[in-house]
Amino acid sequence: MKVKAKLKDDIVKVKVLAKHQNIGPEEAKKKEKEANFITTVIAKVGDKVVYEMSGSGFMSKNPLYKFKFKGAKKGDELEVTWTDLKGNTKTKKAKIK
Amino acid sequence: MDRRKFLGLGLATLALVPMTNLKAVDFRAEKPDAWKSTAPADAIKGLYGDIKPEEKGVKIKAPKLAENGGKIPVVIKSDIEAKSVALLQDSNPRSLVAAWTIPEGGIIDFSVTMKMKKSGKITAIVEGKDGKFYSKVLPIEVSKGGCGG
Repeated sequence: MKVKAKLKDDIVKVKVLAKHQNIGPEEAKKKEKEANFITTVIAKVGDKVVYEMSGSGFMSKNPLYKFKFKGAKKGDELEVTWTDLKGNTKTKKAKIK
Repeated sequence: MDRRKFLGLGLATLALVPMTNLKAVDFRAEKPDAWKSTAPADAIKGLYGDIKPEEKGVKIKAPKLAENGGKIPVVIKSDIEAKSVALLQDSNPRSLVAAWTIPEGGIIDFSVTMKMKKSGKITAIVEGKDGKFYSKVLPIEVSKGGCGG
C-alpha cells in the first residue's frame, strides 16, 4: 500500500493505492479463485477518523482512493488501514507533507 | 432510583455520546441487505429506507466512455453538509459499490476506481445533515467489461 498526504491551503489531499486483487463472487467463479475484496478503508490522524469507506467487490484491482480533509498540520501522521473479507488488515502510516 | 445517582447516570451517558460519534460505522455489518440488492432502488431502500432524493448539489466526474471497465475512475463531489455518501450502479450483479461515513469537518471529494460489467448508470446519494437526500445519476458507456467478463 502506498499513501501520500499533502497539505495545501488548510486542506489535506490524500492518495491511497492499495494492493489487492479485489475479486467479487462472480469473478471468483470464473477465475476459480476465492472471493476476497477490501471491505473497509479507514484513515485516522491521531484518534480522529478523517475517512471511512465500506466497499464491495466492484472496486477495481489495486484500487486507488483519493480524498480530502481539514484540520491537520504539517508533520501530523496519517494512518490508513484496510480490512478485507477474510479479515486481513494492512496499515500504513504517512507524514503529512 | 436515587435522584442524585440518576443525574450522575445522565451525565455519564452524555459523556459517552461524543465517543460513539468517533466510532466507525461499518455499513457492511449494519446494513447487510443493501449489499445484496441487485437494483439501485432496492439498495437505496436497504441503506436509507424509503426516500425521495432531490437531484441537485451532487457532482459525479467519470469518463463518458470507459475503455476499460475494470478500472473506471469516479469522483464524487458535493458541498452539502452530509452524514454519509453512497455510490451505486446498475450494470453489475449487485448494486452498491461503496458507502462513506463523513467525519466532522470532512469534505466530500472522493475518488475511487471501480469495475463495471457493461454500460450503465452510476448513482451517488448524499445523506444531508438536514435529513434530506440528494442524488446524481450519470450514464457511462463501457466498451470492455471489467467484471471478469
